[in-house]
Amino acid sequence: MNRQQPKHTKRNQGREAKRRIFRRTVVLLCVFGVLLFIPLVYQLYYWQIVRHDELEEEAVEQQTSELSVTANRGSIYDANGNVLAISSTAYDVIISPKAILEKQSELDTDRQEALEKAAEAEDEETRAKYTEEAEACDIDVVQVIAQGLEEILEDVTAEDIEKKCEDTTSQYKKLASKVSDSVAENVRSLISEYDLSGCVYMTPNSKRFYPYSTLAAQVIGFTNDSGGAYGLEAQLEDTLSGTAGLLVTAKNNQGTDLKNFYQDYYDAEDGSDVYLTLDATIQSYCEKYLEEGIEANDVQNGGFVIVMECDTGAILGMASSPTYDLNDYSTVIDSVLQSQVSSGEISESDALNTMWRNKAVNDTYEPGSTFKSIVLAAALEEGVVSESSTFNCSGSIMVSGWSNPIYCSERTGHGTQTLAEAVGHSCNPAFITIGQKLGTETFYDYMEAFGLMSTTGIDVPGESQGVVWSEDNFGIVQLATASFGQRFTVTPIALITAINAAVNGGYLREPYVVDYIVDEDGSITYQADNTAVRQVISEETSSRVASLLEGVVTSYTGKNAYMEGYRIGGKTGTSQTLVDDEYVVSFVGFAPADDPEIIVLMALDSPQVASEGSDYCTNGVYISGGNMVAPLVGQLIADILDYRGYIKEYTADDLSGATVSMPTVVGYDEDSAAEILTAKDLTYRVVGDGDTVTGQIPSTGVSLPSGSQVILYMGEEVPEDQVIMPDLTGKSPDTVLEILSELDLYMVASGSSSYYTSTTLAYKQSIEAGELVDRGTTVTVYFSDDTIVDYVDNDMDE
Amino acid sequence: MATQANSVQVGQRRAGKRRGRDLTQAEKLRRGPIDLPFLMLTMLLLIVGLVMLLSASSYAALYDSAAGYKVVDGVIEYGDAMYYFKHQAVYALIGVAAMFLISRMDYQYLRILSVPILVISIVLLILVMTPLGVSANNSKRWLHLFLVAGPTFQPSEIAKMGVILFFAAGLSKRRPGVPTFQKRLRQPLEGLRWFFYWSDLKELIPYVLVLGVVLALIGLQPHLSCMILVAAAAAAVLFAAGIRIGWFIAGAGGLAGIVYYVLVIVGYNGTRIKSWLDPWWDPTDKSYQVLQSIYAVASGGLTGLGFGQSRQKYLYLPEEQNDYIFSIICEELGLIGAVMIILLFALLIIRGYYLALHAKDKFGTLLIVGIITLLATQVFLNIAVVLNVIPSTGISLPFFSYGGTALAIQLAEMGIVLSVSRQIAAPPQG
Repeated sequence: MNRQQPKHTKRNQGREAKRRIFRRTVVLLCVFGVLLFIPLVYQLYYWQIVRHDELEEEAVEQQTSELSVTANRGSIYDANGNVLAISSTAYDVIISPKAILEKQSELDTDRQEALEKAAEAEDEETRAKYTEEAEACDIDVVQVIAQGLEEILEDVTAEDIEKKCEDTTSQYKKLASKVSDSVAENVRSLISEYDLSGCVYMTPNSKRFYPYSTLAAQVIGFTNDSGGAYGLEAQLEDTLSGTAGLLVTAKNNQGTDLKNFYQDYYDAEDGSDVYLTLDATIQSYCEKYLEEGIEANDVQNGGFVIVMECDTGAILGMASSPTYDLNDYSTVIDSVLQSQVSSGEISESDALNTMWRNKAVNDTYEPGSTFKSIVLAAALEEGVVSESSTFNCSGSIMVSGWSNPIYCSERTGHGTQTLAEAVGHSCNPAFITIGQKLGTETFYDYMEAFGLMSTTGIDVPGESQGVVWSEDNFGIVQLATASFGQRFTVTPIALITAINAAVNGGYLREPYVVDYIVDEDGSITYQADNTAVRQVISEETSSRVASLLEGVVTSYTGKNAYMEGYRIGGKTGTSQTLVDDEYVVSFVGFAPADDPEIIVLMALDSPQVASEGSDYCTNGVYISGGNMVAPLVGQLIADILDYRGYIKEYTADDLSGATVSMPTVVGYDEDSAAEILTAKDLTYRVVGDGDTVTGQIPSTGVSLPSGSQVILYMGEEVPEDQVIMPDLTGKSPDTVLEILSELDLYMVASGSSSYYTSTTLAYKQSIEAGELVDRGTTVTVYFSDDTIVDYVDNDMDE
Repeated sequence: MATQANSVQVGQRRAGKRRGRDLTQAEKLRRGPIDLPFLMLTMLLLIVGLVMLLSASSYAALYDSAAGYKVVDGVIEYGDAMYYFKHQAVYALIGVAAMFLISRMDYQYLRILSVPILVISIVLLILVMTPLGVSANNSKRWLHLFLVAGPTFQPSEIAKMGVILFFAAGLSKRRPGVPTFQKRLRQPLEGLRWFFYWSDLKELIPYVLVLGVVLALIGLQPHLSCMILVAAAAAAVLFAAGIRIGWFIAGAGGLAGIVYYVLVIVGYNGTRIKSWLDPWWDPTDKSYQVLQSIYAVASGGLTGLGFGQSRQKYLYLPEEQNDYIFSIICEELGLIGAVMIILLFALLIIRGYYLALHAKDKFGTLLIVGIITLLATQVFLNIAVVLNVIPSTGISLPFFSYGGTALAIQLAEMGIVLSVSRQIAAPPQG
């Protein structure tokens, strides 16, 4: 602008207007050409860089369909590689109503075309050909599938299938899950017969199978649709299940797969195989004897048995009763439970939970006299008693702080006894005295040292912990009751772990059932560590405990567990529960006593009392661990040691009852035969008057008790008739021998260590009465002395 | 700026070769070269736009009944994947032809044509409200090209041009300045009269009236986004023409006040506002579109998933070939590609304003300002919606979004800019 021209001339105004337009257009250029784009570019940066990862993930989630590829679940094996649990491939049967609709329209179109061609056909032959083609297409796909699958699949009706077919937008309707191979085969042939691929299809799934059904059910546990539910199946879920594979396919917003677009496949990683320390054979022994005990004693609340390897802590067998079938885990098969459910005493779900429980680990109980072995170990280790100590029992004892006397099982008193006798009699006053000698503090320390104040850390789920007094509350009265194992609780597994430490050389070992784990490549990813947790008592003390406990079995309350040649040691236990007339009878046994190999703890919960307040069971047996459980444990130990290839050791006392195998004497003259037989500690009688032995009973190799009389046939025919096995139960050893020798049968006595006493009676025989057997057969007869009275704890409030 | 006399001389020099008869100065000028950078940018955007449309629309076309999708007896027949592309390509050719034709036309004729075009567009806008109008999605915005038949178009597209032409033609003739009233200023009426002139209010009234009628007619359709565009273009022309700045400050203040009043005082919280503030508030329904757009944009990252590799176009993102095509661009080409395209638009817009600055006359300047501001506003609003900078409005992206007639009209508008560019005198040489 020209300052010299103060007046606004037209020319000036025009120039000014132009400049204004120019300026303002430049402003517009800056705003619309530059400024406006700045927030846009910033926002692009924000979405595409700052929030890229997070939002892309969200987007991909909606854009892809993920098909999970199931990983094979690992198997569970016993110590010998026998399969305890295995997954087999099963199939889910699925229909695609959408594909069915498309298939139908395809067929209809084909049929229409063929019919048209048939109509247009000029010669008869082509017409027939097309007519035939049209007929082949005349199929009602829904009907074919509905009828076909109804026949093949259980629990699926044609109406069901037709109804599912109505949802024609769906591509996935599951009809059946986990069908077996044979069913799958039938479905496959249906698919190929009518060319139904896409309409009906199967996806692999897996089905858990337990070859031994009930064996170790509570330890192994079972799986349901969401994986391991109970037992090791649940505990080792991550190990067994592996990692599912994934098939990621792009899909459009209507769910149609876009396979050619992109597809990612992540391999499934199979689960690892788990090898247990459990041995199917030992486990089956455990379950057999447990069931036997429950049936024989009318037991109401089941029981348990644990077998542990002394030097490692490995669990060889662990059984609970009532039990169930792993392949059908929601069915109550136990007869006691069934009757309780049908009588309305307990609900079905309570029954299921009861039978699924692993009593050996999940439950706690008052250990009773079996605990005295721990007290004994502590006292010997501390040196407060020795084998030469004597104890006086008047039948009861007064404890300061408690107004009533605490009674012994023998109300008249045991008199003066040695330590071995006190242990053998399971004498309460003696043990109260021992406890007092230890003192509350030391006693409590040993409870802790033997691991009774904590869980053992066993690798099965749901381990409970017993309830023990706190240290402050552990006074002289508590000490008294604790001395004979009452008024505190432990889990069975903790008790056997503690007693094992008392007899195995003093080492507390953590119990375990998982030996090692092998992954899908075959490499071992886990190996159980069996080093001792700590040494509680010295090896020397431990062997003294073991030999004292062996004495219990050879001479005292444990004598029903006696088995010749196995050197079993043990301790009985009978404890009252909080409910009247309900007792837990138990026995802990181990063998061989000089170097324990295995230790067994078995208990039966609540043998039915004959009448209210009675000490006798409905079968007439006095309710005690020594009567009811000791014989079972004895046999169980013998079976297990035999199975493990243990060579029996006979003591001098045993030799009279040792067995020998029958040598061959046929062909010898009488003198030579006599010489051979004498060497084997056998006697003989002769039938016939020939010069040489022409026949013998029993035949070569049969084992028979030493000192038995064999029959030599000199020229006479060996009788080939068979004899009927008589019923021997309830008879005394002498009577049994008499009956058997009349029939040319031989007896091996088993069971009670002192079957010559008048109260010893046979209760079982290895060959059932009524069976036909050859002459010269050896039958094992089990004797027991059912009058053993070990301590049944009296109610202290009495 | 070169004087008119100068530019004539330049024109003479450049039209050095004489063929047959002598050309008038005006004729020589009219045959000047069109602005190549602007043409190149336009063509580049058109081609990139067509290619991206093909990528974005191919899957949707499979499921579009217009493209031939149908279900016969349960059997699906998919549509032609190229359907949208082919359709758009035809209109692109028509549009390019129109662009070149218009660029050859002397834009001065538009001064004369401006009033008839405005009148015709107003008539057409009224026709839309009659039964002849075609509606879709609850809005009545379309007419058939031959009223009862032919492809449909939006009369509002023509109305935009009508308004710009009318404003540019009228305002280019304005004689700014206030008559001298000093002597009588003390009289109250004279004072008002003075203010009437001084404030440009006298000039503004006819434009405001015309704009008000057009906006009202468009508002009745209803077509909010188009109202915004027309208002923005008209305001830009008024602004550039030199109308007192106070009006714009007042206008902007008033607009801000209304927005503030509606959003904060009234607390209006409609679907679009809620989706804008929180795209996740109703992810399966109300805010679905916004969220899907964000997914597409974010999935692109720095370098994108690659051309043709969009996942969101598989029926997730609605309108992916239309208002939300830029989402697919972001997804496939990433930040780099998206910024490149924004840069192309920015260059086109800057070049447009550059041409406006150098136009031969005020009419040319205002014409380009109107057209380019319209384009710029449309680009900004579209991308801003896609990136959730503002609530969704429903504005297409020039050269990219599917819509044949809109594209052809867009190119015709570029033709006008090119026509103006022909008459720019080249800078003196030598």
